[in-house]
Amino acid sequence: MTAEPERCLTCGDVAVEARVVEVAGSTAVVVAEGKRERVGIELVEPVAAGELLLCHAGIAIEKLA
Amino acid sequence: MRFVDEYRSGDLAQKLAHELSALVEPGREVKIMEVCGGHTHAIYKHGLEDLVPPEVDFVHGPGCPVCVIPMGRVDDAIALAERPEVIFTTFGDMMRVPGGRGSLLEAKARGADVRMVYSPLDALEVARKNPDREVICCAIGFETTAPATALTLLRAREQRVANFSAFCNHVTIGPPLRAILDSPGLRIEAFIAPGHVSTIIGTRPYEFIVREYGKPVVVTAFEPIDILQATVMLVGQLREGRCEVENQYTRVVRRNGNPRALAALEETMELRDTFEWRGLGWIEQSALKLRPEFAQWDAEARFELPGDRVEDPKACQCGEVLIGAIKPWECKVFGTACTPERPIGTCMVSSEGACAAYYNYGRLARRREPAPA
Repeated sequence: MTAEPERCLTCGDVAVEARVVEVAGSTAVVVAEGKRERVGIELVEPVAAGELLLCHAGIAIEKLA
Repeated sequence: MRFVDEYRSGDLAQKLAHELSALVEPGREVKIMEVCGGHTHAIYKHGLEDLVPPEVDFVHGPGCPVCVIPMGRVDDAIALAERPEVIFTTFGDMMRVPGGRGSLLEAKARGADVRMVYSPLDALEVARKNPDREVICCAIGFETTAPATALTLLRAREQRVANFSAFCNHVTIGPPLRAILDSPGLRIEAFIAPGHVSTIIGTRPYEFIVREYGKPVVVTAFEPIDILQATVMLVGQLREGRCEVENQYTRVVRRNGNPRALAALEETMELRDTFEWRGLGWIEQSALKLRPEFAQWDAEARFELPGDRVEDPKACQCGEVLIGAIKPWECKVFGTACTPERPIGTCMVSSEGACAAYYNYGRLARRREPAPA
């Protein structure tokens, strides 16, 4: 068996759950799997620190219930 | 259930598998199609094919928006990337797709400035940091990804970024599903619908499958337990003679989707009359292009493209694999002339494609068949 191939986020329809650390305008700093990244939040704002967002291709596409 | 461990629980999986065994009619095969690389990947990585009764057959549809980009369109991307003033940004898998003239990765090796990004917003940032270059974002993906491009275009307009444009290759999920449903001799009885596409579009767009074709649909999340649960729901519907769109992914999917995402798409993009899908041919109203108001940020409006059509290699049987007519190992070139390292066709190109998944998880031969009734 070969090693697990690298996932492609569009092909796999991959979205990641990330927790909001900080909000600055239309961007939030989130943490997912130990990594911090910035995501656009225009589609789900307003968001607050501590909330859980579903993120794909650099934007939040939904808030998690 | 919020924790991944619960979703991967072996006990729950066994329980669902037993429930399925009780639901299926012995010896009567049920073909269920999923159309998302994430579902294909989960099925193979977690061995779900071996867990479900032999009567349940998972078939993998055209769920890879990178793989279905025709070779001629890849050549257009390479032509853009090879312009000396251009920085061409793209998602990872797109770099390896072979066009008629090789891949973007090969063009990069020859000196084209091709850069991998995880978001079109990253590409806009590259444009801001490189005002003397033209930055083109290869915009690929289904409706899950198109909103990211839409937001990027809106930001580019708001911030008056003049050296940024998108080469739009976004595709939509409904029309290829209809094309598959219209295929003669189709034996698919039910559909597992992609969870994150549905976060954007909702569950309503699948209602035509129930209304016009009488086949049940379950919108499904991506853990193996989710897929097993969806399979129980679908087989249950078939057993009870019900036919509905059900939502297994209620945590994030609503019937009307994400209205703000849909509004951003509506503002920036419109449907193309037709678009060629590798392995499936021309499908009407199945892809997006930028609206004329955004021509300034539309790579197709700003740059000359060769626009040549390239035939898929004759040996390629991807079209048959994509509609579930044949399994990957039944393709004459599977694993021999066509491998993940040297893919001939779309199903092998992406690591999420059906053939690549089969190959990488060691499924090189036929699985067990259901015993005759």
